[in-house]
Order: sequence, then C-alpha cells, then structure tokens
Amino acid sequence: MEDKLMKNKNLKYIAMKKFLKISFALILVLFTGTQCSKDFPVDGDGLLITERAECYVSNFELLGSDFQTVRTKNAVIDTTAQTVNVEVFYGTDLKNLYPQFSLVTDAKLDPKIIGKVDFSDLATPKLWTVISGNRKVKKDYTVYITVQPKP
Amino acid sequence: MQRNYIHIALLMVFVLFLNSCKEEEYALPSPKSGLNNDVIKRSIGPNLAGQNLEFAYAMAIPDAEGKIVSARVEATIAGASGTYMEKRSFYTNSSGVDVGIQVADTAITEGNATVVNFTRDTCAATLRYFYKIPDEAKGKEVTFTFSATASNGKTATYKMGPYTVAKMDMALDLAVTNNANCYISIENMAVYNATDAALNADKIDLVYLYRNITGITFGHALMAPATSAEYLDGLVLPAGVSNDAQIKKVWALRDRHLARLQYGVYVDDMDFQKLSLEGSPNYALNLKAESGIWLETANKNYRAYVYVNAVNANGSARISIKRYLVN
Repeated sequence: MEDKLMKNKNLKYIAMKKFLKISFALILVLFTGTQCSKDFPVDGDGLLITERAECYVSNFELLGSDFQTVRTKNAVIDTTAQTVNVEVFYGTDLKNLYPQFSLVTDAKLDPKIIGKVDFSDLATPKLWTVISGNRKVKKDYTVYITVQPKP
Repeated sequence: MQRNYIHIALLMVFVLFLNSCKEEEYALPSPKSGLNNDVIKRSIGPNLAGQNLEFAYAMAIPDAEGKIVSARVEATIAGASGTYMEKRSFYTNSSGVDVGIQVADTAITEGNATVVNFTRDTCAATLRYFYKIPDEAKGKEVTFTFSATASNGKTATYKMGPYTVAKMDMALDLAVTNNANCYISIENMAVYNATDAALNADKIDLVYLYRNITGITFGHALMAPATSAEYLDGLVLPAGVSNDAQIKKVWALRDRHLARLQYGVYVDDMDFQKLSLEGSPNYALNLKAESGIWLETANKNYRAYVYVNAVNANGSARISIKRYLVN
C-alpha cells in the first residue's frame, strides 16, 4: 500500500517537471520571436536611417523675433528647381528670423537650424541641404526672400 | 504540510481583518491655549515701488483666556503714504465672498509701525495689512514683524520676509496719438507733443506712428527717432530729437502689472538684467494690442518693456511701460 502511494507521488512529480519544462521552452520561443523585428541603424544625430529615398521640402515657415509669422502669403516651394520663395511684410527685421522647414518623412536638414538666422543679405540667399531617410540622396534648397514693397 | 500552509494563510487573513476593523472615534480638536497668530502674503509678483504688499494677519486666543486688544505691524523700511491696516476682520462666507466686520478703530501709522486698537470684544480676527512700497526701498529688502496683544498681557509675534523690492519703475496707460502726442521719453516715463519734445529732446527715445498704407502692413509702430526716414514716413522730428535705441518686438507677453489681465506673467528686474538686444533694429512696425517691445536706449542707461494695452484705428494707442535703470 505504501509502495503504491510512493509510486503515485513520483509520477505526479515527473508530470509536474515535464509541464514546467514545456512552459519554459514555450516562453523562450515567444521571447525570441519578439526579438526578430528588423533594427534600423542610426546616424550621427541619433536619427533612424530608413529605406526612404524621398528628399524634398514640404512646407516652409518664417517667424520674426516675436515668433509670429512674417510671411505675407504661403511660401512657394519648387521641388524641381529646389527653391523656396517667401515674401515678408514691409519692415521685417531680416537679421533676426527663425526659419522652419517641414520635410518628407525620415529626411533631415543640414546645416541644422539652432536659432535665429540672418537673411539681411538678400543678394546671397541662404541654402540648406535636405538629406533623404536612407541618407543617400541630398538636395540643396535655396531660400529667396523678398520684402513687401512700399507703394 | 499543505494543511499547515492553509492554517498560516487563514491566520494572516484574520490578523488583517482585525487591523482593518479598528475604528477611530472622532474627537473635537482642542484649541491651542494662549494667543496664537499666523500670516499669509496675498499679493504676488515682483514688489514694485508704488504698489501694495498685502498680507492677511490672523490672531486668536481661547475665549476663556481673554480677548484681543491690539495688533501691530512693523516694517524695516517705513511704508509710503497709504500704508494701513484694515479695521475690519474678514471671513469667507459659504458663497466664497470675503465679508468684513469692523473690530477696531482706524489704524494709526507712525514711522515704521502701523497699529490698530480693538474696539469690539473679540477673541479671533484676521486683519489685512497693506504696505505701500516707498521709492527709497527700491533694490532693498524689507521685513515685517506682525504682533498681537491680548487682554491677559500675552503677546504673539510673526516675522515675514525679507522681500526684495524691484529696482524697476512703472508707468501705466500713457495715451499716444499719431502726429501729436507721439514722442515718448523712457527716462521721464512720459509722452510729449512736438513742442514739449523739443524741450526734452535728449530724453526722447521713441516715436509712435500710425500709417494706413495700401499694399503694406504698417499700422501702429514704435521707433527710435534715429530710424531711417523711410520708416518715419514723412514725420518731421522736433529740433534735437535724434536718439537711437534697440528694439525687439514681442507678442503676448502680457505682464500682469501692465496689462491687468488674468495672466500671471510678470516682467521682473532679472528679465532686464539678462536682456540682450544685440543686433536688434531700431523700429517695430505693425504692433497690435497685447503686443509689446523690449527696448534699450542708445546710452545703455535704460532698458524697458513697452506694452501696448490698446490700439485704435484712428491712429492712437494706450501703452504702459516698465523701465529698469541699468547704470
């Protein structure tokens, strides 16, 4: 009778051990599965380098020292000629402007805009380079400013 | 073994229940004995000369121990004319309205001290104290000692501060009009017409201009007299008015002192100390209500913030100024 009880206990112990092993293996498989998503590399700025080759400016804003727009109307962006044309209000302080670029997904701008920009030399327009998400396409955009003329 | 575990678990649950079932009976808090007092500062923002520092001074003594006889506030720098303590004690009613009940004679202010003597038999009161900041306190620190005396001879005191008084000055609601009262002196914090501007020529730092020109956005403008003739747009300046200044446009910096709107924003001494207008122009066009300008005079003596309270399409505006003496 005692032998039979011992045997039963051993069988239960073996079954429990088997169950734990299977559970552990299953969790390991699931965990490995989640780790398999593709990792994109990052560039020197800590930005993802993706597979996108698109490279253009989608919108442009220009703010004055009071962080209000100085545009008289929407900027004209020519993605073929790679130009941005903006007309600003009469009397705009061209030395202290904050340009804002909107770019296609994953693209970045060079040089970076870290503060106000001096646009006062209208004869020498400012130039920025747009770099695509895959960092293989580079396009130079020239920003032309004109001041609303006094009649 | 398994049974033992069950027993332990049951025991723990039982202990937990015992703990959570303990009921504490509410007891009315017993008041502190003796004369007690407390103060809160009600005014906020930078402490400007000419403005009030407002406090609420609360004092109380148990009814059985006596009544309040007097309250006194002593400032380290004597307040300007208009410093006083309320003779009414305020409480807030159920509708949130402060209700005042007269408990004392009119306050007497002599030198640095303001005193009220109680006329009503009271054992608890909250009196407001208004300290009008004098000009001589500019850039200095001021401390207050509040004290109350009870009929049993006990006194209680409470110190508040020190509070630093700002160095800057303020002028509110200066009316400017196109081609008339359009010459502004930061040094004098005043607006002049052409005749008076000629008499104060070296002190004129700004000109107000309004132009409604089709095709461009000019509107209301503030500019230094030395700005280009193009922006002055035909305005002939009075003889000798030729100062320059550096100007930076600002939007929605609605200083509470100047704007008196709901925004809790203040321009303080530190803003002027850190202000850098390097590379800024000497004009600001198209100013709207609730906008403003930072300014530094050409001699670098003054920095100012000029706030536009209101503009009118007929070519006039109302401005307010905070000014900081640099040197």
